[in-house]
Amino acid sequence: MEYLVFLVRRLLWSLLVLFGLSVVIFVIARGMPGDPARMALGPTASADQVAQLRETMGLDLPLVTQYVRYLGGLAQGDLGRSLLTGRSVSADISDTFAATFELVLATILIAFVVGLPLGVMAAQWKDRWPDNSIRLFALLSAVTPTFLLALLLQILAGYVLHVLPTTGRLPIGAGFSADITGLVTVDALLKGNWAILGEGLRHLILPAFALAAASVGQVALTTRASMIDVTSQDYVEAARAFGVPERVRVLKYMLRPALVAPMTILGLSFASLIGNAFVVELIFAWPGMASYGVRTILQKDLNAVMGVVMVSGAFFVMVNLAIDVATGLIDPRVRLGGRS
Amino acid sequence: MVPGQGPGPVMGCSQLGSDKMKTWNKVASAGAGLLLGTALAGPALAQTVITLDTPEVPGSLDPSKISDAGDYALAVNLYDALMTVLPGGALAPELAESWEVNEDATEATFFIREDATFTDGSPVEASDVVYSYDRLMRLNQGPSNLFAGVVESVEAVDAKTVRFTLSKTFAPFLATVPSIFIINEEVATANDAGDDAQEWLATNPAGAGAYLLKDGPSGSGIVIERDEDYYGGWNESPIDEVRWIVAPDDSTVRSLAASGELTMVSAFRAPETYDALMEMGRFTQEDTSTATAYLLKLNTQLAPTDDVHIRRAIAYATDYDTIREVIYPGEELTGPLPPAFADFIPEGLPAPEFDMEKAAEEVAQSSYAGAPIPITLGYVAGTQFEEEISLLLQSNLEQLGFEVTQQADPWARVVEIAGAVETTPNVNQVFFGPTYPSPDSMFFSQYHSDSAGSWTSMEWLEDPEIDALIDEARSSGDPEVQAAAYGELQERIVDMQADVFLLTLTFQLVMDECLTGYEFVPMQSVPSDFTRYEWLCD
Repeated sequence: MEYLVFLVRRLLWSLLVLFGLSVVIFVIARGMPGDPARMALGPTASADQVAQLRETMGLDLPLVTQYVRYLGGLAQGDLGRSLLTGRSVSADISDTFAATFELVLATILIAFVVGLPLGVMAAQWKDRWPDNSIRLFALLSAVTPTFLLALLLQILAGYVLHVLPTTGRLPIGAGFSADITGLVTVDALLKGNWAILGEGLRHLILPAFALAAASVGQVALTTRASMIDVTSQDYVEAARAFGVPERVRVLKYMLRPALVAPMTILGLSFASLIGNAFVVELIFAWPGMASYGVRTILQKDLNAVMGVVMVSGAFFVMVNLAIDVATGLIDPRVRLGGRS
Repeated sequence: MVPGQGPGPVMGCSQLGSDKMKTWNKVASAGAGLLLGTALAGPALAQTVITLDTPEVPGSLDPSKISDAGDYALAVNLYDALMTVLPGGALAPELAESWEVNEDATEATFFIREDATFTDGSPVEASDVVYSYDRLMRLNQGPSNLFAGVVESVEAVDAKTVRFTLSKTFAPFLATVPSIFIINEEVATANDAGDDAQEWLATNPAGAGAYLLKDGPSGSGIVIERDEDYYGGWNESPIDEVRWIVAPDDSTVRSLAASGELTMVSAFRAPETYDALMEMGRFTQEDTSTATAYLLKLNTQLAPTDDVHIRRAIAYATDYDTIREVIYPGEELTGPLPPAFADFIPEGLPAPEFDMEKAAEEVAQSSYAGAPIPITLGYVAGTQFEEEISLLLQSNLEQLGFEVTQQADPWARVVEIAGAVETTPNVNQVFFGPTYPSPDSMFFSQYHSDSAGSWTSMEWLEDPEIDALIDEARSSGDPEVQAAAYGELQERIVDMQADVFLLTLTFQLVMDECLTGYEFVPMQSVPSDFTRYEWLCD
């Protein structure tokens, strides 16, 4: 019963967060410089054209009325029409979300596969040269600006070495439709199209590594710290005293409890990257939701801006909720509100 | 590797009839396509594929929502209009084989080609023209503003004849007709979900253009392919497939070019990028003078630029040679009309001159002489060359006693502040080119009172005599009357120094030496009509 209350409480909080987000973004979007109707119609549009579009969009109505209208649409799943594309915002987001999701998924995979072993190795050789080298590498990858790394990778792999493609999800004109899951690599796998699978993976490498660099560093450093913390625990000493083999001791008694912190970081990174991958998406012309969001902001495409932010926000809230629920299941203190 | 992609195969596909290409065709026909994957057969079959970079793909393919050159570049290939524009600005038949204009130029009747068909094979009829025009005006976006208050009605006289009736004589009317792209009414109405088929036409073309949509549009590009059954026919070495790849920055352009993926490079990239491409050995560079003017628009209603002597002082204090030769490439501009409209430019229009002594004399004659003169120089934030020009002007103006404030605004903000005299800076850097091949396009949008409040008219002239001259040229069917009005307009605007005429924009185009056909057309992106291009190499 108490766990049910915990879940309901978290859910209500999530809805409140989304409501707050919608208010803040609504106000900020309308406060951005520029007239959305003028931006949509282009430089040569007449004042009459601009006025008519403003009326069609309801921009001539009081702000509160506009917001209530928006919420009404939102409740029915209608995010409005994009001025940039002329299509419904939900259709645009549905077309672009999968690309971002696939990129972020690959990013998290890289961060996990590369960052975790590095952290374990650093902890194992604490304060020796492998540890120092890994810490330096982790620090550099965590602090290097993503845009800089993306450009460097692009120049190195595309311009100097010519080994990897630098734009898009697939070669332009490949004509492959990811109509099952929206993820090119997964759909290519399901359809048995190995050539497209190969191309999809080649196109993923540069943007995913550019986006993953910071997370790799964070995961490596966090794993190292957690492992070192666990190493000094009594049960680890006891395992050593009982002559438990080194491999079992590290993987079972040290790594498993040390995984909580890096996994939490990866979970949060996964959620936040959905909306924050725009720099990499823009540089590599990745047709995702984040770059779509940037284009709509530059065009002051109000409905689309709201739609992208709300979807990113909802995704973030959902992932957080899932983490809370999972943590609550593992640790009773969380779901009991700190009572022992 | 996907055929048609990566260093080797792209070059192969780009070389019409090359050994490599023939090999790919043989491989494909031998059934080896199974190994390549079904999705990859397209590029292998194409004979001539050209690839262009683009900063972004247009948001919508709907021809009724075209608002800039990028939109036009696609539309002109996917759709046809009744008429088109040739290099030099002459009008030519496209869907219409001929047309007639009545004596007082209030009726224009177009006769559609018997063989004109949409890409689905159905005939283009007068009813499609009526539908396209009515839809354009219903949506009230894109080029509809050219016809509002001008066209009274459009009617189908018979299946192949359509008549435009104007509410008054409007001389530039024919020049605006290439802006009306004709939509297949049957296809559009079949996909109309109560929104005038806006949702559907945003991603699906329904025109009579020479090319079909093959892939996209997406955030990474768009591909169009040749319609072999195009009613207009093809040259001997046509371009079979055109790919636009999104390349937001110059490093991407270099990478794409280095890996052989680019055939043509867009204008307005950094000079170093063009240099790097030229060093690759397979590109040629063509610099073409355009019909786009680069101006300093002076707010004639705000102090101190409300004084003509101050405006002239600014013009004299502008270092034209440094701007044109060092900061931004361009050619001389003597007045509101660029040299593309040479037939309308009167003789004896003085060339702008950099002369600090004359600038000082003008300041002395102004009503602001004898005290520091505050002035605001506006430019678009983030554009380095505009900032450099603004700083250059500042250093010169300060020598004359001006107190300069630099005002960098993002473009969205510039559009907003252009809406009122008080918020429009004294000096504003603007590019402006014609949207239809007529001097009227340059004069009406920039200097007529009906256009006031837009970024195109930051001069805030609102001068009844200027309005009268523009209206006179518009309402006369006599070319001599028009020429006289345009001549007088230019002399007056130059004399009142509404603008500082910096330069005529030079269009830098870098393309594969095997590709030919580019010719400048004084209308938005008609040069991107790929029916006019040929691939010359074996």
